[in-house]
Amino acid sequence: MTLAIEAVGLVKTFPSKGGDVEAVRGVDLAVEQGEVFGFLGPNGAGKTTTVRMLTTLLSITSGVARVAGVDVASDPDAVRRKIGVALQEAGLDPRQTGRELVTLQAQLFGLAPAAARDRAQSLLELVDLVDAGDRRIKGYSGGMKRRLDLASALVHQPDVLFLDEPTTGLDPASRLTVWDEVRRINAEGTSVFLTTQYLEEADQLCDRLAIIDGGRIVLEGTPASLKASLRRRRGLDHDPTLDEVFLEATGRTRIRAAGDVEQVQA
Amino acid sequence: MNQALLLGRRALRETLRTPESLAPTLLIPLFFLIVNVGQAGKIFPASSTGFLKGQSYAAFQLPSSLLLAASFGTAALYLVEDIEGGYFDKLRAAPIGRTALVVGRLFAEAVKSVILTAVLILISLPFGIRVASGIFGFLLLLVLASAWAVTYAGFMQLIALKTRSAAATNSGSLLFFPLLFLTPNFVPRSLLTRPMEIAATFNPVTYIMEGLRSLILGADATVVARGFAVVLGLGAVMVILNVRAVRSYD
Ligand SMILES: Nc1ncnc2c1ncn2[C@@H]1O[C@H](COP(=O)(O)OP(=O)(O)OP(=O)(O)O)[C@@H](O)[C@H]1O
Ligand SMILES: [Mg+2]
Repeated sequence: MTLAIEAVGLVKTFPSKGGDVEAVRGVDLAVEQGEVFGFLGPNGAGKTTTVRMLTTLLSITSGVARVAGVDVASDPDAVRRKIGVALQEAGLDPRQTGRELVTLQAQLFGLAPAAARDRAQSLLELVDLVDAGDRRIKGYSGGMKRRLDLASALVHQPDVLFLDEPTTGLDPASRLTVWDEVRRINAEGTSVFLTTQYLEEADQLCDRLAIIDGGRIVLEGTPASLKASLRRRRGLDHDPTLDEVFLEATGRTRIRAAGDVEQVQA
Repeated sequence: MNQALLLGRRALRETLRTPESLAPTLLIPLFFLIVNVGQAGKIFPASSTGFLKGQSYAAFQLPSSLLLAASFGTAALYLVEDIEGGYFDKLRAAPIGRTALVVGRLFAEAVKSVILTAVLILISLPFGIRVASGIFGFLLLLVLASAWAVTYAGFMQLIALKTRSAAATNSGSLLFFPLLFLTPNFVPRSLLTRPMEIAATFNPVTYIMEGLRSLILGADATVVARGFAVVLGLGAVMVILNVRAVRSYD
């Protein structure tokens, strides 16, 4: 079976005046079809850069990436047909209505006008934006924009869905809506690659996850296995939280001082 | 092609929803037409000025105004908005032909310019302007002026794609000063001072202006053809550069 996402030695270097920035320094990934794969890491770890390379938006400095079995560098257009993308900054056009945006997206993916309109209607229903659908996006709240962005990533029932911090800035109810939606999409067979800052989100949604720090993957496994392994190493009498796994993996430990939580470099 | 039309339709919708951006493209060219004709019209009476071919000086000035109206390049500013807002990335991540990605807006620019040019010509008819080459010539005027609008918008889009900055794109639009004014815009090229004549000769807009003028004052097929050749050549170069820029966009 081909992997949903396969990356070997993925590197991205940004040229810059003060010397090159090595945003991603050799990432290997093997995401199975049907998986929800979580990609975690502190700010600036290289999550977005990795997603942008995998979604054809950014050139790959070195290494190989295949998405849905297609080489990203040599056949980007075939990759684009198979993926859905919702980026960290929801990319929407403020002057269109939600419905127009999703309909246009569906048509750009090759749906006939009538089919595109139907698809837009059902996606708007899905993300609970039917009432707002005919208003300009300019007036949408942050959460509405995120949900619309998610809807527009689904017009063509992608094989692989990339979500870069899909719930950042959402209220708890909207976050649950997005989680339900991700589960539903996944149940229909779409593999999901999702970055997040919320460890609970990873715990709830992801079959497997990788933690990236400083451009390198430092830990990988199922949430349960990662917790169990830390528990063994520390000799704890209870399972640690994913937070603790994350902090240990990224070389940060928490010390409590005067009731405050501080982050320090270990 | 279909994708370019879809994106073009979206760009037109965008224009219609920001009518405030359309007003200056109509009013500023009209303003210049009125001011220029008002100030210099007396120097060039229709009866005794050979190069006017019997028409008023307004007829001679109209091409400058048509070109001015076609040199706002607003399409590029919307593109910068798309880039800054992330919508451009959404489009780039979709299986859209890279040519369609840049040509969509240019297509909308062409439609907009045809309408704008037609409106400007109709408004200026009461100034005693006749399109000497007739209805066919009128249609050629629309095509020639909007071909320039597309070319100029293409140039502005190129700056937008390269710099991704509204400020830089705005600065780039200043190029329209030399392009539009180092031309025979007040008198024919033969009456310009030597330095101006040389500058005008190297300025491609000169040939487009002369083509437009020839259609209004009395068609000289060679001059018109030259105008089309220049604008189509430049336009093709701009589209090619745009497509290359979007392909290597990182
Ligand atoms: N276009 C760019 N030019 C130069 N450096 C860049 C560019 N994009 C990203 N970087 C750098 O690459 C590194 C990784 O950035 P990236 O956006 O991938 O991090 P991230 O894990 O998504 O962080 P966050 O959680 O804050 O979204 C950072 O150091 C960032 O400054
Ligand atoms: Mg990021």
